[in-house]
Order: sequence, then structure tokens, then C-alpha cells
Amino acid sequence: MTNRISRRHLLGAGAALGAASFLPVSGFAQGKHLVAATFPGTWNEAHRQYLAPAFTKRTGASVTQSILLGNDQLSRLIAAKGGKPPFDVALFDRPQVLDAAKQGLIAEYPVAKSANYKDLLPEFQDKWGPCISMQIIGIGYNPKKIKTPPKSWDALWDPQYKGRVGLTALNSQLGIAFLAEINRLRGGNEGNFEPAFKALRELLPNVGAIGANLGAYATLWQQEQVDIAPYNFNFVQTLKGKDVPVELSIPTTGPVGWTTSMHVVVNAAEPDLAVQYIDTHLDPVVQSAMLKPPYDVIPTNSKVKLEGAITNSIAKSHADLAKIRSFEWEKLNPQRGALIERFNREIKL
Amino acid sequence: MQSQNSIIDWEAMSLRFVFTALTAIAVVFLIGPSLIVILTSLTASQSLKFPPDGLSLRWYVALLNADQMQQAAWTSLVVAFWAAVLSAVLGTAAALAISRSNSTAGRAFDMLFMSPLLLPALAFGFAALVFIYQLGLRPSIPFLVLGHVVVCVPFVLRTTLAALTQLDPALLDASASLGASRWMTFRRVILPLIGRGVGAGSFLAFMASFDNVPVSLFLADERTEVLPIHLWQQIETNLDVRTAAASGLIVILTLLLMLLAERFAGLTRQMR
Amino acid sequence: MQSGDLKLVLPLAALFAVFFIAPLCVLVVMSLSTDAEMHRLTVAHYVKFFTDAFNYSILWNTIVLGVKATLLCLLFGYPIAWVCSRAKSRWQAVLLFLVILPIMTSVVVRTFSWIVILGRQGVLNQIAMGLGLTSEPLRLLFTEFGVVIVLAQVQMPLMVLPILTVMSKTDPNLADASRALGAGEWRTLWKVTLPLSLPGVIAGCILTYSASVTAFVTQTLIGGARLVYMPLHIYQQAIGANNWPFAAAISIIFMFAVLIVVYLLNLLTQVTPAAAKS
Repeated sequence: MTNRISRRHLLGAGAALGAASFLPVSGFAQGKHLVAATFPGTWNEAHRQYLAPAFTKRTGASVTQSILLGNDQLSRLIAAKGGKPPFDVALFDRPQVLDAAKQGLIAEYPVAKSANYKDLLPEFQDKWGPCISMQIIGIGYNPKKIKTPPKSWDALWDPQYKGRVGLTALNSQLGIAFLAEINRLRGGNEGNFEPAFKALRELLPNVGAIGANLGAYATLWQQEQVDIAPYNFNFVQTLKGKDVPVELSIPTTGPVGWTTSMHVVVNAAEPDLAVQYIDTHLDPVVQSAMLKPPYDVIPTNSKVKLEGAITNSIAKSHADLAKIRSFEWEKLNPQRGALIERFNREIKL
Repeated sequence: MQSQNSIIDWEAMSLRFVFTALTAIAVVFLIGPSLIVILTSLTASQSLKFPPDGLSLRWYVALLNADQMQQAAWTSLVVAFWAAVLSAVLGTAAALAISRSNSTAGRAFDMLFMSPLLLPALAFGFAALVFIYQLGLRPSIPFLVLGHVVVCVPFVLRTTLAALTQLDPALLDASASLGASRWMTFRRVILPLIGRGVGAGSFLAFMASFDNVPVSLFLADERTEVLPIHLWQQIETNLDVRTAAASGLIVILTLLLMLLAERFAGLTRQMR
Repeated sequence: MQSGDLKLVLPLAALFAVFFIAPLCVLVVMSLSTDAEMHRLTVAHYVKFFTDAFNYSILWNTIVLGVKATLLCLLFGYPIAWVCSRAKSRWQAVLLFLVILPIMTSVVVRTFSWIVILGRQGVLNQIAMGLGLTSEPLRLLFTEFGVVIVLAQVQMPLMVLPILTVMSKTDPNLADASRALGAGEWRTLWKVTLPLSLPGVIAGCILTYSASVTAFVTQTLIGGARLVYMPLHIYQQAIGANNWPFAAAISIIFMFAVLIVVYLLNLLTQVTPAAAKS
């Protein structure tokens, strides 16, 4: 009868699926498998589009790129300490590198196994892991609503932007860098953040939305819920590529940034693949491809010529890159948790 | 059943109108979003707008290259399959025991097995993670499956118990008096009669596992990525239309699966 | 014969003992520990939670969110159940299918669709501005109101199904008798149908409330994680801050918050059968 036949078919299909699932779950991808961390936004798109295929072509292995903010990567590694880490390659901003090295979470980079390392500009070489790029922050604005590019951070406080200013939570590097820069401009330093929080409280009437993470931040721009906000150079370029009206203006006080680097995690499941993955990111071919719009990832390999949007406002030559201002992360790091908590409490819409 | 006079009963009509209107709004409310996401995914441009700028299947084609998403989907499928199978076996056995027992023990077990539906699954997921670490182990696929079984077995239990209550005990007596063993009675008499109930419950368990987030948040990590969490990550961090295409695909597949479940297991009848 | 049958419950009972009860016990101990290694006991985490406005406001907001979503669900869910129970068999199956379909679809997918709908240039604002209801786009995304709307839609089937189950088991003669005795439709609804369906309503409310307060995906995607509710708070403390003891305490408090409301709602079922029979 139809019922029995159909049930048998279903059972058959079920049995086939069951038999198939005796294959290892990751056997879907043939060969070896690497798990690497990546940042949200431009990073995971650029990595997925250029880095993963180049890596697979070079080694034949597949890669899972997990989206995790630097802080979250640190937390995951700390939680898994002593056993196998949840990923083999970490992507950190400068502040997290110091933390991770101190806690014995990342291994010293085996320079000998990495062919492209020697071609890096000297300021991007580091024993814990090479810098794969720099990130710069500036003032993001909607060119349809704001005709002249704002030239100073103070523009955010301009009453004409009431309810149109965006902010991002402090769990992202963008948030911390913005806080640190405002702090510096208002007379504070890494030991005293009062000026920054005072300034933020004064900013609150202008703030239209606070993005909890960089993706939510992107949604705010796309939905035109904010017109002006501190933003990251690369992310602006990527959004522009998606037809979102946004531009970046570097204030006259100069570009501020930090380096971003990749590291081999201690006890990684595939340490050799991890090195190859990082080395692929240092490859001039890959870095040139990522330099192109819409990613505009700042290259660190001396063989890659600077061109495109970077030369407009950030750096025209490799020497300029070395001069970009950063912060004293050693002093800032220990206060990170307290800063985040204070921000969550005081800066609320 | 009509009111006593033959002139128009405004009162009755007003109630019927209000309720029907509310129902219509609610149905649009229920189905609309899924339709909108499918239409949005058919956009030819890079942005998530509705109505979409031009129509194209390019984002569905792009899914063919989405290796990581496919890997996550496969992991979810495998986990859901095993969670459904284990839920079906353990749940049916437990349902048989509970339906036959009149003691408070039976009712207590019923409450225990249904409690994962009431307790926040997130708390349970975290508790399971802590427990695994205390044992000196780490999260892995088998633990993920077990975690899903705990939160999915209530579905099997509910539908199977409902089916069992409709079972005529005279049939069991007849089977026993004809000399059939307990296992024989189960296989030949009980199972065919409750088959649809078990099937519906297993289907629900499968879907619940495939879609599960609170338990997977803690028991699935970067090496064992599951689809809902992968999609959630993508949405949180990107404005990628591929997510819309994946969503559209899931809606369509769910619809197809539900039509099948309705056809073979009479899903809606089991839930009435 | 009873004890032999109860043996069949053992496999599942064993699984629950090892993988449900044991972890919950460990969680309780963890919540009372000073650190993740559980060396010493302390109630500091519970004290910290209840004395810190930031923390208990999260709990309060979560409960309020659940209540609001449940009420909105009830407003639309009751009519659906009512219409469905009186519909002809074929329509009933169709309507039921449409109600169950959303809950089968992945919650991430459904929440994602709402992001498209609620955005500044999303469908809802397009309609509202098109109809002239508002001149400025409404801010729906990343607001509590937005979360309530989406939660109501996502959890609606959980409200409809229990009410429908009770309604379809209710003797239709009772409503007919009420009408035959001269009561109008609205009065019949209020005095007969509603009290009789109350067990279903309460069951629906319990399920909807539980689901709404623990809806991690919906709360974070629509609320934008500036709106921190208990689920995200637990996740952030557990995974983000690695503060397992505190996260465990929050989890236990959260479980009690849900159970207390469920218990209170359950008490209503004790009260109502007497009222219905009178």
C-alpha cells in the first residue's frame, strides 16, 4: 500500500543519511582543515574572497574562518587553555598581542618557515607574529547629507547633528581608539580617562544610535540612521562598494591607527598549516589584491606599491605608514575591562 | 445556531468581523516576513532592500561557493539527524512506560522530561558546558548531539503520548491473549498505530535541533560550526545578501519538508 | 506489570540524570563559587547581581519584555485560534499549516527578515510614510518596541496551538446554548468561550513567555545588543568575560525568574475551572 512504500522510502533515505554521517563531520571537505579567526566586516569578506582561495591553492587544505572580535578571541583562548584551542590562527590588534603573549596563548612566529616575512617593512615585523595590515580611524560621514568633509573630531559635537551621530561600543578596537584619541585631544592620557568620558557625556544629546558591534554599525549606515560617526577606513571602503553613502575624512589632527597581526596559537591542531596561512597573507600578490577597492587593506609587504584611496588621505609612501600615530597600549590594556564597564553604564541612550 | 431573528445580526457580525480581521492581519504578520526575505534575496544588487533592485538568482548561485556555510549546514544536518533518532528511540520507550504507569513516578518522569521546554535552554547549554569542563573534557559533536536530545525529546514525548492515549487497550489484551510476546506486540500492533505520532514528533525534534541556537551557542565551537549560529554571526557582522539567499533556501526547504510531513505523518492532525 | 513497564523509562532517565540534572547541579555549585575551579563557596555573585542597578535592571527589562510580547501574541493569537476552531476542516488544516510553518522555519531566518522590514527604509516605514502616517521614518530597529513586535510574530504559534487544542475539545453546544438563551456574540465570548478556553490561554501564555524571555537570537539581532537582556548578559559573562561563576549565578536567577512566572500563571488554572463551572 502507498503508506508502507512511502515509509520504506523514508526509512531508506534516513538510513542513507545515517550511513553518510559515519563519515567524519568535517569529511565534507577533503584533506586537512584549518580553523582561523577573522574580524567582522571588511576583514572576513577580504579573507573569504582572497585569503581562503589562495591558501587552499597553495596547500590543498580547507579553512574555516570564524568571525570573532579580538577580545572574544582572547577570552576563548583563555577558557581553552591547557587543551586544544578552538582555532589555530589568531587575528589580533596590537593591544591583544601583548595580552596574549603574556598569558602564553600564542607561539613565537617561526620566521624560518615563512618565506614572505623578510619582505615586510621593518615596523611590521614582530617575533610574536607579523603585522598583516594597519587600521586607521577617521570621521565617517554621509556625503549626501554633509556636503563638506568634517575636518575635526569636534564636528561630532556640533549641535546641527543632534540625533544623527553614531557611536560604537567599546568592545571593538574602533571604540577604544576613538575614546583614546578624544581623551588625548581633551588633555587626558593613558592614566586618566576623565576628559574622554566627560566629552562623551556632552556628546550624548547628539548621539542617535550606539552600534553594539561593527556589523550593527554597518546596518546603521545602510539604513541611514546616522550621518556622522567615528569609523574605520577599511570598513568605509567596503560599505562604499555596497552602494552605501559613506565617506571617510581624516581630521587635521592626523590619522590614528594601530597594527593588526596574525599569530599561531599554542597547541594548535595544525601548526604548519597555520604558518602557511599567515605567510599567504604576507604574499605580495594577496596583499595587492586586498589593496584594491572595496577592501583597501593597507599592505605591509615592501614589494606592494601603495595606491588607491589610501594615498588620498592616509599615506603616500611606506615612510608615511611608519609615521601614523598610535597609543601606548601597554598602559591602556589593563584598564580595558573597567573602561568597557564604565562606558556601558554611563553612556546610554 | 443563528440568533433568533432573521434580520442582520450586527452583533454577531461585528465579532466575526473583528476576529477575522485580526486573524487576517496575524496571518500576514506570520507569513509576510518569510516571503519578504525570499523576494529580497532575489535582488540583482549588493544591498538588502525591499523591494529589491532588479531580480536575479546570482546570490543563490553564490551559495554554491559558500564552502563554510555548506560545511555548517552539513554539520547541522548530521547533528539533527542523530538528535532526532535518539529522541525518537528514547522518547518512544519513555512514552510507553509513562502511558502505562498510573503511579506518581510516571507523572514525575513526564514532568522531568518536559522541563527542558520551560527552563531557559541557554542556562542548560551553559550548564552543560561547565559540566563537560569539570569532567576534564571539551565540547565535541557527541556532546552537542546529547545536548540537543535533551531539548528535543519533549516533542517526541508529547506526540507519542498523545498517540498512545488513543490506543485501545483491548488491542493489547487481544494481542497478548493470542500469545504474542511483548516485543511482537510492540512491533506489530503498537508501532504501526502510533507510527504517525512518533513520526511527527521526530520531525519536530529534527527541526528543533537543526534550528537550535541556545544549546549550540555553548556546545558548538569554531571547529564544529552549526548553521544557525553561522548565519547569526554573518547577520551580526555583515550586510551580505548571501545570508538572505541562504534564508530563502531554508524557508523553501522547510515548506517542502512540512508538506511531506503533512502528507505522510499528518502533522497538523497530530498537533490539534 | 507497572514496575516492569517503568523500566523502559530508564534509558532516557539515565540520559537526563547525567546530562540534565547533573549539569544543573554543577551550575548551582559554580554560581556559589569564588572562581571557575570551584575552590571556595560564596554568595557574592548573587549579592552583586541584586545590589547592582545595572544587573537587576536587565532582569526587570527581560521580564517586562516577556510580558509585553506575550500580551501582543495573545491579542492576535486568540482570534486565530477562534477562527481556526470554527473553520471547516479543509480551511482548518490550511490555517494550522500557516501557523506552524513559521515555527518550523529557522528563528535566525525569521528574525533576519524583520531586519529588512523594520529598517529606516524598510517595508514598514515605506508603507507608513506612503500612507502619510508619519513624515519621519520611525525608529523601530534596535528599540524595545521592535523586539516586542518580532518576538510576538516569532512565538505566535506557541500561543495559538494550546488555545486551539482546548477550543477544539470544548463542547460547541455550550456556546450555542448561551446564544439560544439570548446572549449576544460578544457576551457569549466573554462569559462562555473565554473562561472555557482559559486553560489553553494560560498554557499558551506560559509557552510564549518562556520562549520570549530566552529568545537570544531575536533579542540580539533586533535589540542590537545595546539592549542587553538576560540571555545576552549570560553569554557575555560566560564567553566574553570568562566569568563563569557570575554567569552561573545569572543563569540560576534567570531560571527562577522564568519558573516563578510560570508557577504564577499555573496558579490561574487552579482558580479558573471553578469560575468556568459557575
